[in-house]
Amino acid sequence: MLILKQWRLWISLLLLIGSYLFIKPNFESQTSDNKINFGLDIQGGYSYLLELNEEEYLNNLLVKTSQYIENTYSIFSNINNGQIVISKNQNLDALSNIVIQNLGLEVQEKSEKENSYIFSKQYFNKSLSDMTLNAVEIVRSRVDFLGNKELSIQKVGLNKILLEIPGDLDNNVKEVISKTAKLTLHLEKSNIVGSKTFINEETGEQVRVQEIPNITGDFIQDASLQYNQNEPVVAFSFNKEGSDLFAKMTSENVGSRFAIVLDGSLITAPVIRESITGGSGQISGGFTNETANNLAIILKSGSLPTKIKIIQEKQIGPTLGQEGVEKGVIASIIALFAITLFMIFYYKISGLFTVITIICCLSLLFAMMSLLNTTLTLPGVIGIVLTIGMCVDANVLIFERIRENFKQNIEDPKNHGFNSAYVTILDSNLTTLFAAVFLFAFGFGPIRGFSISLIIGIISSLIVTYIILKLFLNITSIKFLGLQND
Amino acid sequence: MINFYSFKNKSYLISLILIIFTIIIIFFKGLNLGIDFKGGLNFEVKTNLTTSQLNQYLDFVDTEREVLIKREVGSDVYSIRIESGENNPVFIEEIKNIITQNPDIQILLSEYIEPTFSEELIKNSIYALASSLLVIAIYVWIRFDWQFAASGIFALLHDVFVAIGFMSLFNIEFNLTMIAALLLIAGYSINDTIVLFDRLRSLTSNEENKDNFETNVNKSIKLNLRRTILTSFTTILALLCLVFLAPVNLTEMPIVFIFGVLIGTFSSLFLVLGIVGDLNYEAVLKARDS
Repeated sequence: MLILKQWRLWISLLLLIGSYLFIKPNFESQTSDNKINFGLDIQGGYSYLLELNEEEYLNNLLVKTSQYIENTYSIFSNINNGQIVISKNQNLDALSNIVIQNLGLEVQEKSEKENSYIFSKQYFNKSLSDMTLNAVEIVRSRVDFLGNKELSIQKVGLNKILLEIPGDLDNNVKEVISKTAKLTLHLEKSNIVGSKTFINEETGEQVRVQEIPNITGDFIQDASLQYNQNEPVVAFSFNKEGSDLFAKMTSENVGSRFAIVLDGSLITAPVIRESITGGSGQISGGFTNETANNLAIILKSGSLPTKIKIIQEKQIGPTLGQEGVEKGVIASIIALFAITLFMIFYYKISGLFTVITIICCLSLLFAMMSLLNTTLTLPGVIGIVLTIGMCVDANVLIFERIRENFKQNIEDPKNHGFNSAYVTILDSNLTTLFAAVFLFAFGFGPIRGFSISLIIGIISSLIVTYIILKLFLNITSIKFLGLQND
Repeated sequence: MINFYSFKNKSYLISLILIIFTIIIIFFKGLNLGIDFKGGLNFEVKTNLTTSQLNQYLDFVDTEREVLIKREVGSDVYSIRIESGENNPVFIEEIKNIITQNPDIQILLSEYIEPTFSEELIKNSIYALASSLLVIAIYVWIRFDWQFAASGIFALLHDVFVAIGFMSLFNIEFNLTMIAALLLIAGYSINDTIVLFDRLRSLTSNEENKDNFETNVNKSIKLNLRRTILTSFTTILALLCLVFLAPVNLTEMPIVFIFGVLIGTFSSLFLVLGIVGDLNYEAVLKARDS
């Protein structure tokens, strides 16, 4: 049998079996990493794009670095306009170039009186990016505690976080993610120097306390919603270090008040009645079940490194997505059907080959998408339709070349035609492919969804045309191809 | 045989008119920028209210914010766009709550974009577009001569630009999805062009008939004519299905793309090879021989 000698036959079978195996998990109920996910525009859901405050982070980093220099080398510095300024009237020997470099700093300006340093762009971006990764984990644990299982959360750019949650809107999510949750405890202080007044926004209660916190929320190990005389309260416990600090603070200041401050506003200011050594406490102050639970979640997850701002918010009802998918699928089937009819009418047997090639191309595409765990969005569906178009175009180019060679009596019109047409196809598809890769790299949202299916689509179209279409051409006598009469 | 090459001056004129027309439209009418590029609130709602009733209902939004209501063709779905105005997230939140609580209005989609972020999206899209165009130019330059790269990129920019004019003329919303549509047009245009370039190159490298550039141009177009028409036809066929069946908020993209296919077919048949010729490719060929 001649057909068994075609290496393309075996590769085709391999491709088809492989596609089948990789597509199969999509129809099984258990979760798998090799499935196509549906974007929110298809399955409905809501998404938030959060931005961490770059300026605030820069300031924190400057303060931290300046303090580090002071503590380690006893060199004093000021922070001015995003720079660390070090006056030259002190011994700067310890501050060698290597030390400066290790701190991520570079010289901005050197004058007779002082040196000023800024963070190198590379160091700052890396550090900003690490901070965001850290914040991603905090946001993830907050939303996890609310009980959302299928959320997707990822870092976008240097300081953004994209949170996507399929299904119905849960109003607590927004509440929980947008809080920085810097919890601080301050002792009351009566003289003005080094003090600050915090106000409770709801009750208007004010208390003047020492500005630098005695204890911060970083020491909190666990927090939960509990009830105190049927009133919801937030119970929290400190870790070892925090417990010691808390015990020391309470035992030394029995009788005075301390303020519990969250993100700069006063929650409550209880009086210390006795020293608290167990390392746990309660915050009460007009909570509802929901607000107390949210606060517990936030405290448990730790505070975010900076303020957070929601810069994009999207809610897609499930009906729109479903309608979109149903209509999209119907549209694709009708389009495919129309193209099938037209190709068979125009190219006879060869047209039928095209249809089989397109179907193989789609299977390969879905197999690769499953393997790569791609998210399919509506713009992605449009990218797939374009892929079908490019696959048809490749077929037409090949058939037309063969037909032309046949007319001009060129020797071996099939192979010759296929090869010369395939060069053209490579040129045109590769151009689009490169463009799509760059789109994917720089684009955002719908552009990415579109370009990923285009990239995978072009690759599968190139493969199936080379393997499967050519196989059909090889095993069919030119007489039956339906390309000779014109 | 149709002498396509002899049409080139008329084609230049047509293309010049299209470009001038586009500039005038964009200048006077501007682009209908969506919230992706402007910031603000966007709703897709299903309601039995009429446009004027909706308009009246939305009177509570202060006058400084532009409110745009558009009925999607052939459905009871409306798109409502509210400008962010002076950046005021609290007010935006209020508008959202009021609309969400109206029992006559079913919200299919709601979207809010912070103006600062939309600025970033504009920058981002320009990077994406520019870098992919640059890659295309470099690839065509490596595979062909610079005349081809220049002409291919011109055709591509021409097609994309005129398509933007088309969107402005029919008041089609310009958003991120439309950037994808424009890239599709760019991809289609360069695809068409490269197929022709390949043909012209193989014809001019053939010893027997390399002398007459004009004949070669006509021959490449003629030999590819059937393919060009077939591909455009099947693509438009598929797109028409999308126009009638796509979800209401996505019908505009295939319409823009159909226009792109038409203009792309025009530019590859009548513009690109003429430009290659006028960039003195003939002389390059001759110089290479001697």
